[in-house]
Amino acid sequence: MNKLVSLIKTDLNITFGISSLKYSIKNKKKRWTYIIFAAAMLSLIPSYIMMVRGLDQLYAAFRMMGQQSYFLMMGIMMSQFMIFFLGLLYAMSKYYFSSDTEQLLPLPIRPALIVGSKFTSLVISEYLVSLPIILPFILIFGIREYQSILYWLDSLLVIVLLPLLPLSIATILIMVFMKYTNIKSKKDLVRTIGALLFIFLVVFIQMKVNQIVSQGLMESESFLFDLARDAHLLVNKLGKAYPPAMWAVNSMVGAASGKGIQGILFYVAVSVIGTVIAVVLSEGLYLDGLIGNNESASRGKAIAIDDFNSSTRLRKPWLTLARKELTMLFKTPIYLMNSVGGVILVPILLVMSLFTSGSEIESIRVLLRNNEALVALGGAGMITILGMLNSVGVTTFSREGKNMWVQRTLPINPKDQIFGRVLASLAIQGMGAVILLVSISFVIPLSLTSATFILVTGAFGSILMTMLGMTIDILRPMREWTNPQQAMKQNINVLIGMGVTALLLGPTGLIIYNIQDMVPDIVILSGMPLLFMVLSLMDYRILHYLVARQLAELEE
Amino acid sequence: MLRLEGLEKSYSKGSVKAVDGIDLEIRPGEIFGFLGPNGAGKSTTIKMIVGLLKPDKGRIVIDGIDVWNEPLKAKQIISYVPDNPEIYDRLKGIEYLNFVGDMYGIPTELRRERIEKYCSIFNIKDALGGIIGGYSHGMKQKLVLASALLNDPKLFILDEPMVGLDPRSAFNLKEIMRDMCDRGSKVFFSTHVMEVAEKLCDRIAIINRGKIIALGTMEELRAQAEEKGSLENIFLELTEDE
Repeated sequence: MNKLVSLIKTDLNITFGISSLKYSIKNKKKRWTYIIFAAAMLSLIPSYIMMVRGLDQLYAAFRMMGQQSYFLMMGIMMSQFMIFFLGLLYAMSKYYFSSDTEQLLPLPIRPALIVGSKFTSLVISEYLVSLPIILPFILIFGIREYQSILYWLDSLLVIVLLPLLPLSIATILIMVFMKYTNIKSKKDLVRTIGALLFIFLVVFIQMKVNQIVSQGLMESESFLFDLARDAHLLVNKLGKAYPPAMWAVNSMVGAASGKGIQGILFYVAVSVIGTVIAVVLSEGLYLDGLIGNNESASRGKAIAIDDFNSSTRLRKPWLTLARKELTMLFKTPIYLMNSVGGVILVPILLVMSLFTSGSEIESIRVLLRNNEALVALGGAGMITILGMLNSVGVTTFSREGKNMWVQRTLPINPKDQIFGRVLASLAIQGMGAVILLVSISFVIPLSLTSATFILVTGAFGSILMTMLGMTIDILRPMREWTNPQQAMKQNINVLIGMGVTALLLGPTGLIIYNIQDMVPDIVILSGMPLLFMVLSLMDYRILHYLVARQLAELEE
Repeated sequence: MLRLEGLEKSYSKGSVKAVDGIDLEIRPGEIFGFLGPNGAGKSTTIKMIVGLLKPDKGRIVIDGIDVWNEPLKAKQIISYVPDNPEIYDRLKGIEYLNFVGDMYGIPTELRRERIEKYCSIFNIKDALGGIIGGYSHGMKQKLVLASALLNDPKLFILDEPMVGLDPRSAFNLKEIMRDMCDRGSKVFFSTHVMEVAEKLCDRIAIINRGKIIALGTMEELRAQAEEKGSLENIFLELTEDE
C-alpha cells in the first residue's frame, strides 16, 4: 500500500509539477509565469459566472415542464462525456507518450501498482475537468429544490465516483487500440494518426447515439402527455441509453426511497467494477505493448546507397530547418497530436456538430447558406486562429529543449530561422485548411472565390499567428523539460499565445461585424489579408531582432 | 589564432565567479588541452568561445573575427562537440548530418565525401538510416563528432571528447585532431584524462576556480611544478586546495 501511495504521490508531483512549483516560489523564479497563469484563470471567471446564470435559467425551464431531474441528468451526462473525451486523450498521453513507466519497470513494483497509480493520477486530473461542470448543476438543483442533507451526501458520492466509469472505458479503448496497432515500421506516425481518427470516430458515434435517442424520445406520439404525467420521463427514457447517469440521478433525487437506494448501489457498483476491470486489463494490454514498444525502438539501421545519394545534397538552410521541424513534429506523437491533431480535429468537430445536430440549429445553417461572405470570413478566421492553436510557432524554440545548443552554435541566419519555422507551421496549416474546406463543403456549397479567399487569407493569417507565437516563445523559451509533453502541453507560452490571439482577433471580428452592412464585402475581404500582411511585416522586424539577440544571449 | 582576452563570467548575479580574467592564445596548428577539476570553469570558458554564454567582460577573437560581434562569421569556422551529445532523437543519423551540412552550406559532393570518410572512421555508417533515439551514448557522440568535422573547421572545440568513446574511436579521433592541426587548424579541448592530454597536447592550461594556474608545454609544466613527474601529479599538486 505504501508503494502505491508513493507512486501516486510521485505521479501527481510530475503531472502537476508540484516540486518545481515549490522550488520556483521559494527561489522567486518564473514569477511572471504564475502571474500570467493566474490572470488567465481569473479572466475566465466572468464567462463562468455567465454560464452558471444560463444554467439557472435552464433549470427554470425544466421546472416549468416538471422535469427538473433531467437538469441533473444533463449535468452528469455532460461531465461524463467530457471526462470520456478528454480521458481518451489523457490516457494516450499518460500511458504511451510519457517515459516514466520505463523507469518504473525495472523496480520491484507489481505491474498492477504502476497501472493503478497512473489511473488514480488520471482520475484526479479528471476532477479538474468534471468539477467545474457538475458543481453548478448540483448546487442549483440542491438550492432551488431545498434538498435535504441526504441529497448533498449522495451528490458528494456521485461527484467522487463520476470519472471512474468513463475513464475506465476510455482507458480500455485506447489500450486495445494501441496494443493491436503495434506495427513496427513508422509505428508512431501510424498509431498517432490512427488514434486521432479513432477518437474522432468514438466521439462521432457518441454524438450520433445521443442525437438518435433524443429524436426518438421527442417523436413519440404521446410525448407531451407523458411529459406532464411523469416527472422522471426524460431521465428514464435517456437513462436507457446510459443507465449509470440515471442511477446517479435517482439516488440524488430520491435519496431515501427504494429507487434511490437501488440507484446509488448500482452506480457505485458499476463505477467500482469498471475501474477494477480497467486496472486488471491494463496489466496485460498496456505493459505487454509497452515492452514490445521499447524493443523495436532501439535498433539502428543502415542506409541504402540510393537513399544516401538522394538525401545528401545541398539545400537552402530555411528549407532544411522546415524539414527538420516537420520531421520532429510528425515523429513525436505528442507534438503530432497537439499540432496536426488540432488542425485536423477542430474543423471536423466544429463542422460535424453543425451537421449532426438537430433542428435547433437549422436556422444557423440557413443563415450560412445565404451568406457566403460570412462563411468565407469565418473560415479564414478559423484558419488564422488555428495558426496559434496548432502551437507550432508558439513552442518552436521551447521544443528545441536540450538540443538548443545545436541551433545556437551553427551559423544560422535569423532570417532562415524565421522562414523555416514559419514554413513548417504553414505546411501543417495547409492540411487543416484543406480539411476545413472539405468539411464546410459538406454543409454549404462553396464557390471557388470563397475557397480561394479562405486559403489566401488563412495563409496570411497563419503566417502572422505563427510569427506572433514565435515572438512570444523566443522571449522566454521553456527549455528545461524531460518529456516532450511538457514543451507543448505545460508551456505557458501557449496560453499567452491564445490570449494574444483573442486580443487581436476579437476586436478585429467585432469591427468587421459592425461595419459589414456599411461597407461592400470586397473591402472587408481584401482588407483582412492586407491587415495580416502589414502586421506580419511589422512583427518580422521585431522577431528578427529578438531571434538574433536571444539565440546569442540565452544562458545555457 | 584563437585569442581570449580578459575573459570573465559570473553566475548568481555576480556572487559566483566561474571564469575570472582568462587570457590565452592558441596558435594555428596547435592542440591545446584544457584541464581542471569539476566546476573549475572549463565548460563555461568553452561555452563562451562557441557562443553559448555571453562573457561579462573580455573578448574572444578567432582569426581576426570577434566571436560576439560577428557571430555568424565566427560560427562558420568553428565546430563544437559538447560533453553530452544531446541531439534530435527523432531524426535519422543521415538527416542530422545533412541538417548540419546545410547550415554550413557544404556542397553536395564534398559533403558526401566527408560523411563517407568520418562515418567510416567512427564506424557508424551502418547506423545512419536509423533514428538517433535508438543510438547508444557512444554512437551519438560519434555522430556529433562526424557532424562537427563536416565543415573542416579552423577551430575545433571539444568538451570532454573521450568520454563514451571506445578505444578505437578515441584513437581515431586523436589522429584526426593531429591531422587537422598539421593542416593549420587549431584544436581546443577539455579533458579529465591526463594521459590523453599528456600525449596529445602541444600545450596545456590548468584552470582552477576560474583562473589559469599553469600554462605551457608538458616540459614547462613540469618545470613549474615543485615535484617533477606525470601530468597527474602536477595536476594534483596544483589543485590540491580543492
